[in-house]
Amino acid sequence: MRDEARLRLRSRSPVEGLERRRLGPLEVFAQSVSGAAPSAAMAATPAIVAVSAGHGTVWSFAIATVLALLVAGCIARFTRRMAASGGLYSLTAKGLTPAAAYASALASLLGYGLLAAGALVGATLYLQALLDLWGVGGGRLGAAVVMAVIGLGTGVLVLRGARLSARVVLLAESISITLMLIVFSLLLAGGPAGGAAGGAGPAEATAMPPPGFGGIVAGVLPALAAFIGFEIATSLGTEVRKPFRSVPRAVGLTAAVAGVLYVFAAQVQVFGFSATPGGLAGQAEPVVALAAAKGWGWLPVLLDLGLVMSFVACGLATATALARVLFSLSRDGVAPQAFGRTHRRFRTPHLAVLASVPVTTGVPVVLLAVGVPLPTVLVTVLTLAACGFLLAYLLVCAAAPVFLHRIGELTWPAVAVSAVIVPILLVVLVAFVATRPLSGLLLAGLAVLGAAGYLVVRLKRPAALAGIGVYDETTTADVLIPDRGAA
Amino acid sequence: MTGPIPLSGRQPKAVRSALHVLEEVVAAGPGVTAKEISESLAMPQATTYRILNLLVAEEYLVRLPDLSGFALGRRAARLALPATTVLNTAARAVVDHMRAQTRWAVHVAWFAAGQISLIDPDPDHPAPDASQLARFPYAFALGRLLLAEQADWRALVRDVRPFTARTVTSESELDRTLKAVARDGLARQCGEFREDRGCIAVPIRGPRDGRLVAGIALAGPTARIAEPNEEIIKLLRDHAARLAPLLA
Repeated sequence: MRDEARLRLRSRSPVEGLERRRLGPLEVFAQSVSGAAPSAAMAATPAIVAVSAGHGTVWSFAIATVLALLVAGCIARFTRRMAASGGLYSLTAKGLTPAAAYASALASLLGYGLLAAGALVGATLYLQALLDLWGVGGGRLGAAVVMAVIGLGTGVLVLRGARLSARVVLLAESISITLMLIVFSLLLAGGPAGGAAGGAGPAEATAMPPPGFGGIVAGVLPALAAFIGFEIATSLGTEVRKPFRSVPRAVGLTAAVAGVLYVFAAQVQVFGFSATPGGLAGQAEPVVALAAAKGWGWLPVLLDLGLVMSFVACGLATATALARVLFSLSRDGVAPQAFGRTHRRFRTPHLAVLASVPVTTGVPVVLLAVGVPLPTVLVTVLTLAACGFLLAYLLVCAAAPVFLHRIGELTWPAVAVSAVIVPILLVVLVAFVATRPLSGLLLAGLAVLGAAGYLVVRLKRPAALAGIGVYDETTTADVLIPDRGAA
Repeated sequence: MTGPIPLSGRQPKAVRSALHVLEEVVAAGPGVTAKEISESLAMPQATTYRILNLLVAEEYLVRLPDLSGFALGRRAARLALPATTVLNTAARAVVDHMRAQTRWAVHVAWFAAGQISLIDPDPDHPAPDASQLARFPYAFALGRLLLAEQADWRALVRDVRPFTARTVTSESELDRTLKAVARDGLARQCGEFREDRGCIAVPIRGPRDGRLVAGIALAGPTARIAEPNEEIIKLLRDHAARLAPLLA
């Protein structure tokens, strides 16, 4: 018999206050799918990948899917064993040093924050396109109003509870993916577009490169970026029923489902432009061009509707995750204490929501108001977000085998997977930053700020930093202790 | 509430291994690690880890805060028959005194490891069906005392079905009801199991740790139970307070 001191059980979970063990498996799966926002990537990413991968576009997506599944596998090594609210940084903390966990936390905040802002921009962009079509757009002012309204709605839903927003997300994402499948199936059934399809942008048309190995590998970069956000379920660990089963499943299934959708969408688009000079690579809006070539003017409406739904769901899911990361950092003692408060009735980290959603809404609204074109904002924001996510993935994959070793459950597949995925992610991250000098510069600035923040925390709260990574620990109430029955 | 576990029944070895692992955790005591279990059962490590993760996912086992040690989870308590006790003479005298004060039935139930057992049903009245009480605790006042005490009451409720038109079956309403029970320290049901019968129950808590150990209930005609009954509830609480040191 071991002494109870060894058990070191607390009577209350360090993340107490959230609605514990409430979400169903489908709800948490929907959150992860929405985080990845496959609809938007289905429409936009294949053309970007095709610039380097050409006819090998499908292969780039297949490789990216395998990589995403490997990352999901690394995340599952943690989520099968612990339920956290802070997402990847809470997991990383169990394997690597506090500094690495801190870096992961900053990368996650950057990723979720920018993705939330990007989703809002995307939703506004496509909703405006629809409204313009019906003649009620209202120009830039109208767009700013639309954006503020969507942002407000997101804030209210996230504040009201993980369950309600999860249900809205589930509904929106189902509609979106269904619309996408209809759109792409119609395009596939319609056969390749004639030579006229390239007319949408003949000036941009470049020759489709031959599907060389190098091209396919280069195409993996943007293809992998299409998966970011698929790990969002990890930040709901505390709030899910049977988290050790639902969370790893949600993350793994999201990678698989998104991968299948991307490969399908890429195949449809490569096939659709197979008879067009320049092919898919020359297309700015490939789905619209394909639809126009067939004379289906109504199809872009379906597409836009699907994209709006997908972006709204993505915004909800990322705002939920962002608030949970702030909440968790606060319970760690690293972020301001107020973020760790929870609403008594809604059981959400309401102050963290109130601190984050106005920022992720306000910044894009201001950018829009001063006249920065939305598509530029969207691309920049998503690129930066992708860097944040890639860094967080890299760290969690490196942490997985160390964590398993620490708890004495290391197996060789865990080592092998990390040995493969960590160098690849490192190369992808470096290539991603190197090929986008502006983002690289911005990131360098953020990294300096982050390092400064780290030093401040280390100086002021060394104990909090050393213990970073709270999670929903087993408490006395969860354990059967001999002689006492259920505590 | 919890879905059935998909199991084809074609993995007798896996089932056997899982039971062996459970048994080993009980034998070794809380804090035993995966490696220790694997060694003492001579089971391959990867298999042991997989089975442990499965049992943790199903909440029969829990990981201790260091994440390497294991212990039995609350759900494991449901595998064993509850250890019941018989009321001692002093406690029986208190219950009999309560019975003398009222024409309604007075029952005492024991709560152990998430299960209810009627340890002292009123001999002069029809007692509630023990198996029904164990299976459908949400429809009984005594059952609600137990559910209100849980971190997540859904873990103890299998299927929710209406017995009468009054049975509370919606999850959100039941949740509200149970929160009220926890707040007031009083559970009541009026005609939710049998049209003509209702019940009021108050908890009996350990004087030292405040843990719910038992409940004492009054059962009577629905219409009468629905009344405020302030005096008799006060009487019931007094007797519960007197029983507490005798039972815990």
